[in-house]
Amino acid sequence: MKPIIKKGAILSVVLFLLMQLYQPARNVEYGQVSPMHFTKLYKVPSKVEKILQISCFDCHSNSTNYPWYSNVQPVRLFLDSHINEGKENLNFSEYGTYSKRKQRSKLDRMIKQIQSDEMPLASYTIIHKNARLTEESKAVLLNWMKKKSDSIAANN
Amino acid sequence: MKNLIKMKKIILSTVLMAIVVVGCNQKNKQEESVKPETTQSTSQLYSCPMHPEVTGKQGDTCSKCGMELTEPVVKTEAVSEEVKTEKVAVTPFSVTVDANVNDYLKVKNALVNDDSNGAAAAAKALLATFNAANTTSIDAKLKKEYIEIADDAKEHAEHIADNAGKIEHQREHFALLSRDINDMIKTFGTNKKLYQEYCPMYDQGKSGYWISDSKEIKNPYYGAEMLTCGRVEKEL
Repeated sequence: MKPIIKKGAILSVVLFLLMQLYQPARNVEYGQVSPMHFTKLYKVPSKVEKILQISCFDCHSNSTNYPWYSNVQPVRLFLDSHINEGKENLNFSEYGTYSKRKQRSKLDRMIKQIQSDEMPLASYTIIHKNARLTEESKAVLLNWMKKKSDSIAANN
Repeated sequence: MKNLIKMKKIILSTVLMAIVVVGCNQKNKQEESVKPETTQSTSQLYSCPMHPEVTGKQGDTCSKCGMELTEPVVKTEAVSEEVKTEKVAVTPFSVTVDANVNDYLKVKNALVNDDSNGAAAAAKALLATFNAANTTSIDAKLKKEYIEIADDAKEHAEHIADNAGKIEHQREHFALLSRDINDMIKTFGTNKKLYQEYCPMYDQGKSGYWISDSKEIKNPYYGAEMLTCGRVEKEL
């Protein structure tokens, strides 16, 4: 019995080490912010941009601020699948490539998701404490987004 | 030197005066253009957003629900004229639109019945109908418009389909889906007799629109909670 446990332990350590060799490309964009970016498209005030940066862009843009443990597998795989899903639903970096209609409904969806505390995800803020929206930053964000949404609605 | 400063002051004050005078004039003009309406509004009746039959002066409250009377009562002739202009000619593509609308109405009816699972199933069917739509009969210019509408609508249908059990979430997407369906009917026409209806209570009055094939109000945003809240906005 004992040698089996020993073998198992050695095997899992080896597997764990081998896993570390897999380090896929990071979700990081170098160079200038694209003109298709949400912040460029809508001339987002810096106060709002800062909140978006801390609470949203990690999963919803082409530029993730990776935590140190992202270097460890299989954490990285988990993070990447999370980021891919987030970007699929909403990518601030490519907001300008959406149709006007889609931009409008995405903005409306953001308001609803933030309002109902669905976003940022609880599973994310439990680790990233600073990404949690305070009442104040939530108000700043929603206030600006609602104004933007109303002005878009008025032009349609 | 002193003279120069005096001169500057004079010029500055004349410029200021000019701005004020021009500004005031514009305001007068605005007032003038508004005047005919305001004279009308002294006798203007307002109705309750939920009970159109209750009317009164501005600021009064509804005798049935206590809400403020905020909806200006429009003369019926004006309304019927508006309805006529909204009607879009039927196009060959209207058949496809009608198929989409039929599935959309099933989603709506499920939400009216507070049936979250039913709404999810109907939305799945709507998604399939969208994917099967043949767009070859649309001319190139309208095609882009159609693709944009369909792209957005499909996303909302998908969210409704994936969120069985979360009816509030489904209703939020239904509001955006309704906007797309409305625009689709507006652009491509329909063979069906449809109405755009509106619940002023939902989402602070911002997005509570839906499309129905009946004039009788059955509210998909509140279901049994407030089944008859709402009104017919226009005929499509």
